[in-house]
Amino acid sequence: MLFSQDINISEALQTNALSMTLMDEKTRYSLRIKPKDLAAFKKASGLKLPAKIGQSIRTSAHSYLCLGPDEWIVITANENRNNLREIFVNMTAKFTYSYVDVSHRNIGFVLSGEQVENAINIGCPLDLSLDTFPIGKVTRTVFENAPIMVLRTGTTEFQLECWRSFAPYICGLFDRFAMDL
Amino acid sequence: MFEVHCPYCNEKRPEIEFAYAGEAHIVRETKADELTDQEWAEFLFYRDNKRGDHHERWWHQHGCNMFFNAVRNTLTDKFVMTYKMGVKRPTKTQIKAAKNGK
Amino acid sequence: MANNKAPYRTAGRGNDGSKTINFTFDGKAYQGVQGDTLASALLANGVHLMGRSFKYHRPRGVLGAGSEEPNALVTLDRGKGRVTPNIRATVLEIFEGLVTRSQNAWPNLKTDIGAFNNIFSAFFPAGFYNKTFMWPKSFWDKVYEPIIRNMAGLGPAPSEPDADVYASVYGHCETLIVGAGPAGIAAALTAAKSGGRIILVDENPVLGGSLLSVPNDKIDGLEISKWLANSIRTLQKMRNVKLMTRTTAIGYYHDNFIGLAERITDHIPNITPGVSREKLHRIRAGKVILAQGAIERPLVFNGNDRPGVMLASAAQTFQSRYGVAVGNAAILFTSHDSGYAAVFDLADANIRIPIVVDVRDEIPKDIRAQAKQRGIEIASGASISKTHGSTRINGVEIYSPSTGAKRKVNCDALLMCGGWTPSLHLWSHSKSTIKWDDEIAAYVPDMPNENAVCAGACNGDFGLLAALKGGNKAAGGRKTYKVTARNFGAGTTFVSLPSYIDTSKQKAFVDFQNDATQKDINLAVREGFASIEHVKRYTTIGMATDQGKTSNLNAMQIASNAVNKTVEQVGLTTFRPPYTPTTYGTFAGYRTGDLFEVERKTPMDGWAQEHGAVYEPVGIWRRARYFPKPGEDMDAAVARECKATRDSLGIFDASTLGKIEVVGPDAAKFMNLMYTNPWAQLGEGRCRYGLMLREDGYIYDDGVVGRLAEDRFHVTTTTGGAPRVFRHMEDYLQTEFPHLDVWLTSTTEQWAVIALNGPSARKLIEPFVENIDLSPEKFPHMAVREGTICGVETRLFRVSFSGELGFEINVPAHYGRAVWETLFEAGKKYAITPYGTETMHVLRAEKGFIIVGQDTDGTVTPGDAGMEWAVSKKKKDFVGRRSLKRPDLVASGRKQLVGLLTENPKTVLEEGAQIVADPNQSIPMDMIGHVTSSYWSESLGHSIAMALVMYGFDKEGEDIYIPIEGNTHKAKIVSPMFYDPKGERLNVV
Ligand SMILES: [Zn+2]
Repeated sequence: MLFSQDINISEALQTNALSMTLMDEKTRYSLRIKPKDLAAFKKASGLKLPAKIGQSIRTSAHSYLCLGPDEWIVITANENRNNLREIFVNMTAKFTYSYVDVSHRNIGFVLSGEQVENAINIGCPLDLSLDTFPIGKVTRTVFENAPIMVLRTGTTEFQLECWRSFAPYICGLFDRFAMDL
Repeated sequence: MFEVHCPYCNEKRPEIEFAYAGEAHIVRETKADELTDQEWAEFLFYRDNKRGDHHERWWHQHGCNMFFNAVRNTLTDKFVMTYKMGVKRPTKTQIKAAKNGK
Repeated sequence: MANNKAPYRTAGRGNDGSKTINFTFDGKAYQGVQGDTLASALLANGVHLMGRSFKYHRPRGVLGAGSEEPNALVTLDRGKGRVTPNIRATVLEIFEGLVTRSQNAWPNLKTDIGAFNNIFSAFFPAGFYNKTFMWPKSFWDKVYEPIIRNMAGLGPAPSEPDADVYASVYGHCETLIVGAGPAGIAAALTAAKSGGRIILVDENPVLGGSLLSVPNDKIDGLEISKWLANSIRTLQKMRNVKLMTRTTAIGYYHDNFIGLAERITDHIPNITPGVSREKLHRIRAGKVILAQGAIERPLVFNGNDRPGVMLASAAQTFQSRYGVAVGNAAILFTSHDSGYAAVFDLADANIRIPIVVDVRDEIPKDIRAQAKQRGIEIASGASISKTHGSTRINGVEIYSPSTGAKRKVNCDALLMCGGWTPSLHLWSHSKSTIKWDDEIAAYVPDMPNENAVCAGACNGDFGLLAALKGGNKAAGGRKTYKVTARNFGAGTTFVSLPSYIDTSKQKAFVDFQNDATQKDINLAVREGFASIEHVKRYTTIGMATDQGKTSNLNAMQIASNAVNKTVEQVGLTTFRPPYTPTTYGTFAGYRTGDLFEVERKTPMDGWAQEHGAVYEPVGIWRRARYFPKPGEDMDAAVARECKATRDSLGIFDASTLGKIEVVGPDAAKFMNLMYTNPWAQLGEGRCRYGLMLREDGYIYDDGVVGRLAEDRFHVTTTTGGAPRVFRHMEDYLQTEFPHLDVWLTSTTEQWAVIALNGPSARKLIEPFVENIDLSPEKFPHMAVREGTICGVETRLFRVSFSGELGFEINVPAHYGRAVWETLFEAGKKYAITPYGTETMHVLRAEKGFIIVGQDTDGTVTPGDAGMEWAVSKKKKDFVGRRSLKRPDLVASGRKQLVGLLTENPKTVLEEGAQIVADPNQSIPMDMIGHVTSSYWSESLGHSIAMALVMYGFDKEGEDIYIPIEGNTHKAKIVSPMFYDPKGERLNVV
């Protein structure tokens, strides 16, 4: 079956000032674990879940993003999907927790370039300077009328995710921004 | 657009990430069947609508997804303090201290 | 200036004079120089008449030289969709080819027919419109309003959609400094050393503020221009400093959140398509330093609005900054020392000063000496009682109250100076307090409500040295400056200037833009308006686009005098954002057109578009409403889609249904609390219709819930209800039931949902489904299975919202379209027919299924909807349970949901139509209910409707009436289960 995110990124968003690329098919799981179980869960599962809201850890295989006091998103390449699901199924015997497949709920973008902070700030009210939003920080927030999640992956690089039907709106705003560059 | 200090994120965040969720410290009646209609009506509908320091709930909808409590002055529209769900209603002294701390 | 031949052009500093700019005003061609505003360029050409006033159509020239200008409003015409009215000529930068028009005059500025309003001005006192045009009511639309609209008002609103685009952005800084005059620049130089992010904004195209108007002063031994250039260069070099010109701080909001409106293209001759015209910066600042300066106050005297009468500081600015003489012979009328600095500068530029009229008896010696040195005569203790001229002043009548003597002196400009008003607009937006300062007769800042401080003239600290020191101190510095500048001096406030003419016969304007006079204020007070807020609304003073920047304090002083109170007692009107008029486009920013609001589309939306779908908005989703074939209207398309579905097979995109995954060992317990139905006994792989109430007992949402495992429920909600249901559940879970081990995850967008309905549904999917036994015995109605379809993992529901055999195929969203297309292709042999929301509505109404929000409206209980069956009698608790026993919810006479069959089977009632029991009752009739859903049923061959009717259940079989515009329809109350009441069609094998 054809995998289609049905998103076109315009050429205006392929410059050094601002480049936007669509992430390909990923596996995403929403995890809910009681904070008191976290250490044991990490040990038993081998998953590198960060402890504090806003933190993220990236390993060669997975991205672990802590979004709430008991909430994580794990993002991984599709080839790790079965492996990851097996871990989750195994953990159900040991822990009272929740895992839910949200792979296709989100569409992910990588934004980079020297204008990347300004670009995200056209709709996102957070202070994205490196001091207050360092590499590795992740949070849900808003982008004008769209709820989004932002993760800083580099000095001038961010990963931005949104629910799939909000993606064209977000691309449209970046497109308009690029016309002013 | 004001900023709200989310006690879970432990950060000041912009107002548009939050949603107001009504007066705080109104505990849902567990023995509702034993209440008179008047008592039930008071639980359901009666609110202080206070002029001054108001205890209220907020939801960090576009953030950590947590509901929390706040004291906000309805005259100045300034937040005095925010605290996690389950923490006891702050006393007048604690509210005063929070005001001075700012 | 060298190469510009405009008659009043002298030497200036703000423009370089090197480049000639051609522009037109009211069709006539003029030349200005690079750096001119429209006002300075017109004045250079000797043009003072720039507009007609709002109410009386009096000829008006410029009053000021900056953004406070109330008079010189023009329309900027940049072609189709780019016509902007009410632009102040004093801030409009000219560019090659600029086209501008005057406003509010017909047929032209010089001979304006509307000026008869001026002759009959005695009939247009304050409150005239409110009083006169009250009666008869019918005259308002047809007579009064068109006349008023024609005669009064400012420039016409644009008639074309805005051709420009706009931008908006959030920003952050440690220190935001508003105003780049001496105070602002001193503050920026000091604050920048901290290393924090600094933003310095100024509404002018160049930095410098009042420094641009005082050429002869020195700072630290440097000429002003040199000091300014050095300072700007220093700031430009610092990476933590952002300098913003052509940017107005328009509003100051909570927690140091400031709106900055940046004008990007208005001064550029050629607009590049797609480049934003203006940009709204939404800045969160750690600290705000307001250095907005002060605005000179006009004097209120008879004839003070004649073209050629202007603020002394404006004349000084036109002279020193733009190199434009405001006339050949300028008289100063003043009550403040600072006015002299202006005329001395003019005199030094060889403009004749026939006389200075000073209301005060005592004038400082040094000023007298300087005047004498320049040969300028001073008439002290004198006043101006009249001005002469029509569209330009040509003389004044000087009146000496002590002797009663009157004397006429000729001039072509009259400069006035009534003291200074600190600009407290942004300070006041922030709800910081102000206090009255008797010495300067003005309000000054008092207590801050945010981390903010005022510096320089807006703090009441006048003069160059005070501004520099104030700015430095505001940013935490302790620098001293050596300044050679003229003393700013002092003044006296005169509420009423001496005159031999009775005030009721004077045309002494207070608010130039709204044409309100001293007389109007006195009238308002006489008529009993004592509060300044009421005086403001009655006289409209301060309510025009300039918000009374030049008029508020004069108005308050006149009003307080009239009621025998101090200005403080009378109080101050409220300052409101924006500081200066701001385009709608700036506020909209990027959010126009397609980006105005999110439009959510399903994964199959593109397929629907290719197949000719007509859409409808459902919340912010767009959904296919029907799929017309060539020549079909909606009714024909829907009839065909319904029939095809009931005959064989329909395919429908149900992806927008809200979905929430409820996971955890206490999932069933939680479901028991959130829904009226019982969940504990629901087996794995089974589904149940769930009904959700609010705590007040009214229906909140509904949807089918599948139990995937002991600890996992797949909950569906209505399309529009998804966000509120998620919030409702999270709220209860976190705050009332935190002891439950259960978690919620929104999965609405994880799944694309393909609904197949009709007798052929099973036959179609059978070949594509793996790992699920589809036989009716193994997969009964209201069941859910996990497996694969077309090789893609699926949650397959056997449910029906149509009464036919139905499946809802959930597949991961980004495979949705591919699976849909595969099934559609294979379905052709079953005459598969795509249908939209309209057919879905008809099919469900034929079965009497409700739509929450259509057949319920937030005041409908399960009992009212005939859904007691969905409410568990055994459960001890669920949200809304106690309320179902509230006296008003168990009272008789509630509106109940019933079916209606019209007497004429072809009549399709209007949804929302009111229902009566007796069609012959006189108006007002007793309305006993209303129609909630109404459709043509192709399957049944007649119309069907659902309605909420008082005592509806008891009235089954009775007739009721629906009167609609002279046509009363008769209908019979029936059960809403119109089609296949026994549900046999679900069991097709
Ligand atoms: Zn939070």
